[in-house]
Amino acid sequence: MLRQSPSILQRLFRHRTTSVTSEGVQFLLFTLAIGIAAINTGNNLFYLLLGMMLSLILISGVVAEYSLRRLEFHRHLPYHLIVNEPTTATLVVKNRKSWLPSFSLKMFDVCDGHELDRGLEIRQLLPGASQLVSYPLVATRRGRLRLDGICVGTEFPFGLFMKRTFYPIEETLIVCPEIKPINESLLQGLVTAGPEQSVQRRGHGNDLYNLRLYQAGDDSRKIHWPTTARTSQLTVRETEAEDQHRAIVYLPTVAPATHDASFEQAVSLTASIIQHLARRGYILRLIVGSSHSSFGQGDLHLLELLPMLALCERRSPIAESVVPGELPRTSLELEEGAMIVVHSWLGSRDIEPEHPTILINGAVITGASHAV
Amino acid sequence: MPFDQALRFASIWLASTSFIGLTLGAGLPEWLAALTGAALIVALLRNRGGKSVERLATYAPISDVGWNLLVIVGFLGFWVDMLWVSGELLSAGIHFLMILMIIKLFNLKHRRDYLHLYAISLVAILASGSLTADLWYLPIFLLYLLAGVWTLLLFQLTKHPEETRMLATSVSIRPQPPASVNQVTPQLFWFANGLALATFGLTLVIFFTIPRVSAGFYQKGFGENIRTSGFSETVNLGEIGPIKRDPSVVMRVELSDGSPHETGRLYLRGVAFDQYDGKAWTNRLNYRRSVSEDATGTFVLRGSRSPAPDRLGETIRQTIVLEPLDTPVLFAAPLIERVSGKFPSIQSDLTGSVYLPFPSSSRIEYSVLSRSNPVLPADLGSEPSRYPESFVRHFLQIPAQPERIAILAKEITHAQRTTYDKANAIQSYLTHNFRYSLDAPLTEQDRPLEDFLFTRKTGYCEHYATAMVIMLRTIGVPARLVTGFLAAEWNEYGNYYVVRQQDAHAWVEVHLPHSGWITMDPTPPSIESIGGGSPAWHALGRMMDTIRLQWSRFFVQYSAADQLAVVRELKAGGTSARNKVFDSMTALFSPFMAMLGGIKEYASKETMLSLAEVLGPVLIGLAVFLWLGIKRPWVKGMTRKKTTYDQQIIAQLYRRMISHLARKGVPKLTAMPPLELVRLTQERWSDASSSVASITELYCRTRFGRIPPTREELALAEDHLRYLMALDKP
Repeated sequence: MLRQSPSILQRLFRHRTTSVTSEGVQFLLFTLAIGIAAINTGNNLFYLLLGMMLSLILISGVVAEYSLRRLEFHRHLPYHLIVNEPTTATLVVKNRKSWLPSFSLKMFDVCDGHELDRGLEIRQLLPGASQLVSYPLVATRRGRLRLDGICVGTEFPFGLFMKRTFYPIEETLIVCPEIKPINESLLQGLVTAGPEQSVQRRGHGNDLYNLRLYQAGDDSRKIHWPTTARTSQLTVRETEAEDQHRAIVYLPTVAPATHDASFEQAVSLTASIIQHLARRGYILRLIVGSSHSSFGQGDLHLLELLPMLALCERRSPIAESVVPGELPRTSLELEEGAMIVVHSWLGSRDIEPEHPTILINGAVITGASHAV
Repeated sequence: MPFDQALRFASIWLASTSFIGLTLGAGLPEWLAALTGAALIVALLRNRGGKSVERLATYAPISDVGWNLLVIVGFLGFWVDMLWVSGELLSAGIHFLMILMIIKLFNLKHRRDYLHLYAISLVAILASGSLTADLWYLPIFLLYLLAGVWTLLLFQLTKHPEETRMLATSVSIRPQPPASVNQVTPQLFWFANGLALATFGLTLVIFFTIPRVSAGFYQKGFGENIRTSGFSETVNLGEIGPIKRDPSVVMRVELSDGSPHETGRLYLRGVAFDQYDGKAWTNRLNYRRSVSEDATGTFVLRGSRSPAPDRLGETIRQTIVLEPLDTPVLFAAPLIERVSGKFPSIQSDLTGSVYLPFPSSSRIEYSVLSRSNPVLPADLGSEPSRYPESFVRHFLQIPAQPERIAILAKEITHAQRTTYDKANAIQSYLTHNFRYSLDAPLTEQDRPLEDFLFTRKTGYCEHYATAMVIMLRTIGVPARLVTGFLAAEWNEYGNYYVVRQQDAHAWVEVHLPHSGWITMDPTPPSIESIGGGSPAWHALGRMMDTIRLQWSRFFVQYSAADQLAVVRELKAGGTSARNKVFDSMTALFSPFMAMLGGIKEYASKETMLSLAEVLGPVLIGLAVFLWLGIKRPWVKGMTRKKTTYDQQIIAQLYRRMISHLARKGVPKLTAMPPLELVRLTQERWSDASSSVASITELYCRTRFGRIPPTREELALAEDHLRYLMALDKP
């Protein structure tokens, strides 16, 4: 992330762009007029004024160049972003020059070759000093977001030209799909489906699951004293796990190109569902196309699942010849829990792209196609 | 100083500089100059601050529409001025420009108003450059350049906040930046001045290297030519008198060896006259012919003949810089042989006078080779000879009824045998028996010459020369009156003669049979001192004159030919080019070098003391300003480190707090750390402890933590100090 100043050769050949400001245009017109007046009259004092104006232009270029040189940028970004959700990015700018301050630095994020004005500006950066600036970063599309670097420009010293240079700080971020609030119908379906499908097993709950004989290493606090007294054998109490809510969320990735928007909605809906379930303590497993995650719980697991959705791609049904919604049954048989499938395409008969269809344990949740 | 205030100040400074330049160059009408000056002062006071002035500033009796109407009225006034009042486009334009400047000075609200003011000031300084070529333009230009750099710099630095303020508030709440960000810090101060210096250096480089067009299509001179007299075809006796009190410089003469003439004086011949009618001299031999030019571009007047070695007189090579005069005469030491300069052609008449085709409207420079006629031994022993009729008609002509004069001449010369001795006798008679005076109203007399010789016996050069010519003619010696200048003021800094109007002179040329025309001067040295002042002032004046000359040579008259010469020198070889550059630099700095070199000599002449009286206070003042600027003794305690403006403020607050505490009986010992003082205050004066702790915390954080305070923090610290001052200690 930290990028040192480039070598002399690199500095020499680094791309520079210069544009004229509106004040610069006026200044150039005045210079031209004085030049014409000087040639017409042969008056040396006009030549002196012309020399002054030309030297201001030259000095402007030289000072702007020095102002932009030997800067160091250090950018802090989160590991991943969520579409349309602002995140604070910070940029540390350091002036590595030993005696010359840098003035009026204006910074632009360069993303896929485009300069994005974040309103970042540093008025004065003394030699050896550094300054931190922060700005809201908002992504509009899921996937990988590549930040090429920082384009830094200045109109210093005279505001006649805007000179820019590029400092490469390559950075790739994962942008997760947009998470939207889940509507009532879907919420109801999830509430009813989840608990009913939970399976009894050992765990750290309160309800009794089993009584068994004490074994070395068991927690002495779990000894069930009434049974021990009655049977004269140390008996421990096993409890039923509380987090019995388990769910598998499946997002088929096969859809024709006509269903691209629908697929994106399905991705966003899937993300919203897993985020909703994760917050409620579900043990989740995500299957996206042919890739799948393990079961897991909590925010960390959620952060593992979201990149899968961020990077998944729609696949054409012709190429794959796979029926949408088809799942390896073995996994379903082995695992227990709610099965939530988010379809963006229901097969060859689904010609008109509509909103995604959601099935919970095979039952279509009506009215749940709209996530918001 | 905050950026905004500094920008307003720099803008007014820029406008003031261009206004002064225009006033000096164009001679604005008094009312307009006074009005513009008042507008600048009001604008400066408004910027200076003060609550009453701010209140005054907010009170705007004229709305924006009103100001626009005023501009329209001013534009109509421009047409009226151009058509009926001044009758000139340039003058009317300049007046309108000043009106616009006044309106803008009262109406500096938006950034575009500042841009308009800059444009007006640029046009004003341009107009001033078109109206003058004097040396004062240089300091005005330097001030304008400095103000321009500061203005553009501050205009740029104050540009961004306005544009980004909306964006910044819409996306996030930003922390308050340190107050120093919007202040002119010492770093910025020196940086801007260094930038101005670099700009000036680059300006000089561009100025000397930018290709020149040899002559402008609309080239014109500056102002009116210097009015002089005594060099037309007819000159009334006594006409030179009035200009003898005028100290205006008319020319500067450099001799080839760089030292003054051996006699200390140099005659610069202008026009010769042959006919005298009793009141006025006329040149009847005024038929002018063009002088041929040789292959090297030199005009040769007397070079065709090669005199015998014993006839060779003193040769003088001189370079003359002639100011624009209202006469086409070219002046030079007698008698001119060769002339070279940037002229299309020159002419000469039968008396050996040299003319331009028409008076030059700008300063010209030319070189002359002169050779005077020596008095040959043959003329020291020979009797007066006979002359041809044409010669007699012109150079032995005398006005009617000069009997008394003829008798006087014969009386003076009766003991002399040769022509040369006779001439010397008359010269000696006039020199020793008459008194020099400029207060001689002889022009009103019917017979001014007789009045001079027999009644008043006082007069000036014209009278002496006329008297000698007529007296010589009455005894049959051909003679003519010559007008020109007598250069006697040697400028030791630039190694040239300064010739002023007051050096206008008339003398005599006497024809000897074998030697030809020789120069004789019957005028006694003047005992009247024209212009007072101490020697130091005169020395300073000569130094300024040298700088003025160099300014004219290197800036005002720098041309394509000079550029070509430099290129030729460079092509010819590095050594000669280096020598040329060295010579140019030496010429530029010669006044200062000469002053340094002459310190010993001046000290011996005790002139140095007078010079020291003038330069001493100036140098001491400069040294004090420099010391104050570098040391800034008013910021004690922070001088060892680089301090920002905010650090200085908090240090001042802290110092004031310490001195107040000491007065209240809580002294801070030298070795006591700041926090110890807080503890001590808590013990002895608990009411003040919170304020003391707050100021101390900010001071420590700024000084030792190097974290600049925000404006709010500084304001809070000031409030604390104010509270502390108002608090009574029990």
